[in-house]
Amino acid sequence: MSFADIWLFLQQGVLSGLVTGSIYALLAVAVVIVFKATDVPNFAQGEIFMVGGYVALFLILVLNWHYALVIPATLLMVAVICAFFQRVVMERVIRAKGVEVQLVIATLGLSYVLKGAVRQTGLGDAPRSLPSLIQPDTVIIGQAVLTRLDLMILFTALAVMAGLYFLFNHTRIGKAMRAVGMNPKAAQIVGVSLVRIRMAVWALAGLISAISAILITPKILITPDIGHIAILAFAAAIVGGITSIPGAIVGGFIIGIAENLVGLFVSTNAIVVAPFLAILIVLIVRPQGILGGKVQVKKV
Amino acid sequence: MKTNFDLWALVLAAVALIALPFLASGYVIYIVNLLMIYIVLALGLHIVIGETGQFALAHAAFYGIGIYVAGILNNTLHLNFVISIIVAGIVTAAIGYILGALAIRMRDIYLALSTFAFGEAMQWVFLNWTDVTNGSNGYQISPAQFFGFQLTSDLRAYPFVVICAALLLALAVWLSRSQLGSAFRAVRESDVAAQAMGVNANVIKRVAFMLSAAYAGMAGGLYTTFSSFIHPESLGFWTTILILIMIVVGGIGSVRGAVVGALIFGLISELLRQVLSFQEIIYGLILIGFMMFAPRGLFSGQRRRPNPPRRDASASGPTTAKEQP
Repeated sequence: MSFADIWLFLQQGVLSGLVTGSIYALLAVAVVIVFKATDVPNFAQGEIFMVGGYVALFLILVLNWHYALVIPATLLMVAVICAFFQRVVMERVIRAKGVEVQLVIATLGLSYVLKGAVRQTGLGDAPRSLPSLIQPDTVIIGQAVLTRLDLMILFTALAVMAGLYFLFNHTRIGKAMRAVGMNPKAAQIVGVSLVRIRMAVWALAGLISAISAILITPKILITPDIGHIAILAFAAAIVGGITSIPGAIVGGFIIGIAENLVGLFVSTNAIVVAPFLAILIVLIVRPQGILGGKVQVKKV
Repeated sequence: MKTNFDLWALVLAAVALIALPFLASGYVIYIVNLLMIYIVLALGLHIVIGETGQFALAHAAFYGIGIYVAGILNNTLHLNFVISIIVAGIVTAAIGYILGALAIRMRDIYLALSTFAFGEAMQWVFLNWTDVTNGSNGYQISPAQFFGFQLTSDLRAYPFVVICAALLLALAVWLSRSQLGSAFRAVRESDVAAQAMGVNANVIKRVAFMLSAAYAGMAGGLYTTFSSFIHPESLGFWTTILILIMIVVGGIGSVRGAVVGALIFGLISELLRQVLSFQEIIYGLILIGFMMFAPRGLFSGQRRRPNPPRRDASASGPTTAKEQP
C-alpha cells in the first residue's frame, strides 16, 4: 500500500466515519441522558431506534403519507411510546423498590415486545429502506467521495446536538433534567417532579432515536434486528464516559471513524469486533471513559 | 418451612427424574438435559452476580469456550467425558480468573459493559476462528465416551447429565453456606466494609469470577455429552441475558431461585421457539410483568436495603452515606 493510498483511505475513512459516527453519537446521547436521569442502561435503545424507522416506513409505504407529515408523526409516536413506558412500567418498578438490574430487565422486556410487534406487522420480512429526500448526488471532499445524503445526515445530526446543548443549558426543563441526573433528592427538594422529568427524558431519548432512524434509514436497509446498532451506541457512550453527553458525542465519532478505518485498512470482517476492542481498551486503560468523571468508591 | 419446601422439592425432583426415562420420549429427555444445563449455567451466574454482586455478562462466552474445549477433546482424543468436562472447567476457570483480574478494576455498569464486550468478542472468535471452530457452519461434536460406552443419544447421556448437574448443585449449596459464601455476600453488600472486616475483596471477586466461569465451562462440557452440534449464533449476548433473566426472576442471591428460574425460563424459551414474533412479545411481556409486580423474583435471597443508594458518581458522597443506618 503506497503512501497516496493510505492518505486516500484515511480521508475516506474519517469522512465516512463522521457520517455514521454522527448517528452513533446521537444514539449514545440518548443512552447517556436516560442513564443519567434514571440510572438505567437502556437495553431497548436499539429497538426504539428500529421502531422509529419502521413507523416512518409504515406511514410512507402503507399509508402513503407525505414526508412533511411522516417526520413529525414518527417523532411524536416514538416519543410517546418511550414516555408511556417510563411512566407506566419503569415508575412502577422503581416504586416496587426495584434496583438497577430489575430496571434493566424491564428495558430488555420492552426491546423484545417492540421487536416482536414489528415482526408481526410483516414489514420486517424483507430488508427495506426509506425513499431518499434529496438527490443522491456525489460530493467530493479532498479525495473522499460522499453523497449529499451523507452531508445532510451529518449536518442534521450536528444541528440536533446544538439543539440539545441549548436545551440543557438554556431551558428550565433541560436544567431540571441535569439536576435530576446530578442529585435526584436535591432536585426534588427544590421542586422538580422526578416522575415528570424522567418521563420527559425518556421522551427526549425517543425523539433523538427517531431522528437518527429517519436520518439513516434512507442510507441503509433495516430489518427488525437492526437494534444491534445500539451496541455501537453503548460502545460510544462508554468510550466517552457513560455520564458525559459531550463524551458520548466524541465517542460516537471515534467509534464511527474507527469502524471505517478498520474496514478500509484491516478487513470488513474485523469491523464487528473493532468497537468491542475499543471498549475493552478504554475500560482497561481509563475505566471512567475519556470524558467521564472520577470513579467513586461506594461509601459504607 | 423453607427447609421443608427444599426437601419436598428434592424428593419430587428425584422421583420425577428417575421415572422420566421410562415414561417420556426422546424429545422430552432432550429438553430435560437442556434444563439441567440451564440450571448449571444459572448456578454459575448466581455465584458471580447473586452471591458476589459483580455484574459479569460474559457467561455465554465461557459456556461456549467450555463447549468447544470439550468438543475438541471428544473429537480428537476421544477422552472420557468426565475428563473433558473437567478440562473445560479448568480452561474456563483460568480465563475467568484473568478476566476477573482485569475486570475488578471496574464496577457496576463499566464492569457489566466490559464483560459484555468480552462476550461479544468471544462470539466473534467462535465465528471467525474457522480452523478450530468451523466458524459459521457450526461445529460437529462426536459422541462422548465413558469407559468405552458411547453416549450416542439423549437418553444415554441423561443419567450422566442429571448426576453431574446434581453434584454441581450440591457444590453450589455447599459454597453458599461455607465461609467463602459469606465472604462473597460481604463483598456484595459492600466491598469497603468487607475489606475492613479482613476479607480481601479483590481476591474474593477473582475467585467468584473463576468459579462462575468454571460452572459455565462445565455446563458447556455437559452439553457436549448429549448434543452433537453447536453454532456460535447461540452463544451470544442473548444466551447470557436468558441466564440473567433466570436468576433475576427466580430471585437474585438465592440458589432455589436460580434453579426454579432456570426450569421456568428454560421451558418457556424452548416452547416458544417455533413462533418468533410471538415468542418475543410474550417473553417481553413476561419480563415486564415480573419486574412490575414481583421485581424481587420468586425466591428473594437478598435482603433489600430500605433505600438503595444511588451509585452514580455524580451523586454526592455524604447523602449516600447518610442513607445507611
